[in-house]
Amino acid sequence: MVCIRQATVDDLLAMQACNLLCLPENYQMKYYLYHILSWPQLLFVAEDYDGRIVGYVLAKMEEDASEPCHGHITSLAVLRTHRKLGLATKLMTAAQNAMESVFGAEYVSLHVRRSNRAAFTLYTSSLSYRIHDVEAKYYADGEDAYDMRKQLKGRPHAHSHSHGHHHHHHHGGCCSGESKAASPVDVGAAADPGTGASGSNSSAPASAAGA
Amino acid sequence: MKKHIASNSLHDPEALILYLSLLEQQEKFDAAVEVLSGDLGSLIGIQEDRLRIQGRLLARACNYSAATEIFERVLVSCPDDWEVFLCYLGCLLEDDLNWLKMDATMQICSPSFDDNGACKANHLSNDEFNSRISSAVSLVQRLQTDCNGGFVRGAYLANIEIERRCRLCGTKHDDNFVEALLTYFCRFGHLSCFASDVEIFLHLLTLEERDKFLEKLMKTLETPPASPLKALDQAMSIFKVHESLGVMFYLPLTDLEVTTKRMLQMYCKNLTLSKDLDPQENMHGEELLSMISNILVVLFWRTRILGYLLEAIMVLEYGLTIRRYVWQYKIQLVHLYSLLGALPLAYEWYCMLEVKNILVETISHHILPQMLNSPLWSETGDLLSDYLKFMDDHLRESADLTCVAYRYRNYSKVIEFVQFKERLEHSSRLLTARLDMSILQLKQKANSLEEVECIFENLNCGSKLLEMSNEDKMKILTFNEDFHARPWWSPTPNINYLADHFEEGFPWLKEKLDLLLGRQLTMLYAKNKKKAVGEEGIVKKLIERKSLLPRLIYLSIQISPISLKENVGNGSLHDADAIGERKSLLEKYARNIGLSFDDAMSMLLAIFKGQKPLKDLGPDVISWLNFTVFVNAWNLCCHHLESPRKDSSMNSWSVVDYMLRSCISEQLTHPETVLGVPGSNLPVLVQLVTEPLAWHILVIQSCIRSMLPAGKKKKKTGLVDSLNSSYAHAVCDSVQCLISVLQDIGKWVSNQIKKSEDQDVDSLLSHLQRSSSQEELGSILSILEASESMSVSEVGERISAALQSWSAATVCRKISAARRSLLLQFLSICESKLKLLYSINKSI
Repeated sequence: MVCIRQATVDDLLAMQACNLLCLPENYQMKYYLYHILSWPQLLFVAEDYDGRIVGYVLAKMEEDASEPCHGHITSLAVLRTHRKLGLATKLMTAAQNAMESVFGAEYVSLHVRRSNRAAFTLYTSSLSYRIHDVEAKYYADGEDAYDMRKQLKGRPHAHSHSHGHHHHHHHGGCCSGESKAASPVDVGAAADPGTGASGSNSSAPASAAGA
Repeated sequence: MKKHIASNSLHDPEALILYLSLLEQQEKFDAAVEVLSGDLGSLIGIQEDRLRIQGRLLARACNYSAATEIFERVLVSCPDDWEVFLCYLGCLLEDDLNWLKMDATMQICSPSFDDNGACKANHLSNDEFNSRISSAVSLVQRLQTDCNGGFVRGAYLANIEIERRCRLCGTKHDDNFVEALLTYFCRFGHLSCFASDVEIFLHLLTLEERDKFLEKLMKTLETPPASPLKALDQAMSIFKVHESLGVMFYLPLTDLEVTTKRMLQMYCKNLTLSKDLDPQENMHGEELLSMISNILVVLFWRTRILGYLLEAIMVLEYGLTIRRYVWQYKIQLVHLYSLLGALPLAYEWYCMLEVKNILVETISHHILPQMLNSPLWSETGDLLSDYLKFMDDHLRESADLTCVAYRYRNYSKVIEFVQFKERLEHSSRLLTARLDMSILQLKQKANSLEEVECIFENLNCGSKLLEMSNEDKMKILTFNEDFHARPWWSPTPNINYLADHFEEGFPWLKEKLDLLLGRQLTMLYAKNKKKAVGEEGIVKKLIERKSLLPRLIYLSIQISPISLKENVGNGSLHDADAIGERKSLLEKYARNIGLSFDDAMSMLLAIFKGQKPLKDLGPDVISWLNFTVFVNAWNLCCHHLESPRKDSSMNSWSVVDYMLRSCISEQLTHPETVLGVPGSNLPVLVQLVTEPLAWHILVIQSCIRSMLPAGKKKKKTGLVDSLNSSYAHAVCDSVQCLISVLQDIGKWVSNQIKKSEDQDVDSLLSHLQRSSSQEELGSILSILEASESMSVSEVGERISAALQSWSAATVCRKISAARRSLLLQFLSICESKLKLLYSINKSI
């Protein structure tokens, strides 16, 4: 009965609380805002039936024209009390589906700490991500990150109409794009704390800095 | 819109949503359904999303059977969508009146969970009701079969909801409700979300049902699952249910103590399960320590034995030694150390939480109120300035961010973002912080009249702050704090149950439990309505009082030589205006603390004359004393106007002296307040010295400056000689009184820290080593210490090293050092004020 829905700006408060509870890296608010104001279709929250946000996924589209169109998972978190329910998989699936159907992404990338076995298992076993590269000392504390990628079908913008800039995206409904048979994986936190984390020694994200 | 659609159609889901919303607001539900079912409906790419909107529209059109069918279709593809299940049931049983009232902009309705409403609204005959319930049951069974073996809980929780509806209508035996809860436990009891899943239902149990349910749950502990991890998780769920039902408030003390120790043993024994976990992964059984700590605080409340409070701290410190990322432990420690008078430690843990970004808005309430009443001025200033900087930066960057949303053509997000910005702009926390910052600056500089005047130059003489609490601003205040993580004994910053006596007995308990549960239920039911109106009212009053304070201080130090001369005629028009303003502000201040101006004056007089006890002032003595100081200053200027009292015994200087002396002496002679914790009255003492006493010294300084004619200040003849007025004598008496009061405080503080740190530590440790009626279980401390002997092979290297490094004595030493440092900082403030008073005395 946890529902996966698109995030609203007001959800940012609860999403940041989730971030604090789950991840060692905390992001600056403007980073969240930059994501939600630029790619609102790619931010999802898991809301328990009492209205509490128990997990979220923060994702974006990479805008480097020299690379193929692709998305990036910036941050994923599920509260301890709601793990092993497949929520992380549902959140990821929702974001990936939106990247594909709204923006026509060819693949999706993410970073994960080398030591975060739970998250690594989720990405490889449940979500079919593969290691693309290893980024040495990616995190502020000096830990390496796996640069992981998953190929999407890369279909062009769905429902493209005469107004080329009009993207189709769904709005806030529950369980949008969720996978019915989600496999339960214990994942507390994952993804990309290297950019955008406001930790004492991490740098501000390039994209947000331009906001 | 119709014309536009006919010529250009719609190309964007946002446009369609807007169009549907317009139709819905006009109550043209059928037309909206038609649009959604037509070609335009395909703009909403995901079918379930489209169906949800369709279901809502049909329900609002009172076409319940069609809505039921639609919601059923959504459930078949999304069986875990609890909200849709409630919509389905509401439409099926036609008992949800919320459809009619709902806001058209809502994506989906929030079904009612109010039992009274649901029952009364049902108009179906018994047969009809039973038949519809049967179809709900068969749908649920189908959903369960479809997702058999999965982790989809919605279809199973649905059984409990169905039983709840039946129970409401009296169509089935009440036992079924309890049975449904137990069945759910058997299936999902090992999940950590079990307790929060059923919490809302637990609240509906009668006492009899509650006991039956608990009894059956406890029986399951006798035959635990084979997997140790599952057994641990299931046991934790049972403890959480106990916590939700408030069992700790009525279980006999001995049983409660045994339960606590068993829980701790369970945690220690199961450390082996976490042997191979990464450092950043949560430990198995982690929540046990929070629950144990909560129960130990209940034991402290019920017995006032300090040892329990210390044990609560030990347990959490122990947990953090093993894994330092547990947010919940840190929050609990922030509150426990604040209670224990070890605020520097509380602050240290708060800093370790790394609260930043928007969280400074939502969770700084855990520490700020205590810091504001402490002598830790520099740290408090840092907290406030970090917060204000974050908010100012955000508000400044908002325009750029709005442009981002425009650039990406996310227009609905522009609206959301602007509303969000306004929400932060009108934050009650922000307003309070701006006021607190100014008041803190005044406190810090209160020893120098000139420096205080400099601060007022930047504050437009306090008028700027006064403006902040005007009616318009109060109306649009927002309350963004997240109180969810606060400890049970202090659900909001303005409530501390521990300050009241615990009384055994059910009537009392029920009321208290309702309050405690009410906190959770408020959050459960009112998604966006953050807190009870009561709490908001308290905050508004506090803001008003804080905004009055600087201006009243400013006016109180505006003592002109002419106003001090006796038997002069009316003052200038300007003076009359200032006096009028002061009177009106004092009236407002009196109203704010609960009485009319005249009644407040009568109260002060009655206390001064010994006709009423000091405790009649209520808990907020600081505001009363501030009021007394301001009244005295006002009296200095308006004696030639209409004097408030002709009573000659009412010398306002004497009243201030008496009130300060009495209140401070009461704190010094009864240092262990009802809380039963040594030093717990320190915040009141600190406030007495740094607020009313400090403001009174400013009034004295201003008075002396006005009494001494220009150029005579350096002369050897003192003030009394140069101005043989009754004021001069009053000032002298007051200075003497303050000196004596501060000397008393100095002695008290010195007494508190005269023991060596080792003696302190021994004394704290002795509280932990007290004898227990359950010797076989040993003390909490002995259980913790026993775990230190667990081998590397059992718990792994990391946990083993952590266990070795933990020591109760180290924690006690930290507590002692923190308390000393706090007392020393307070002493230094008192000494600086004494020094000032000595110099004033000398000049007189």
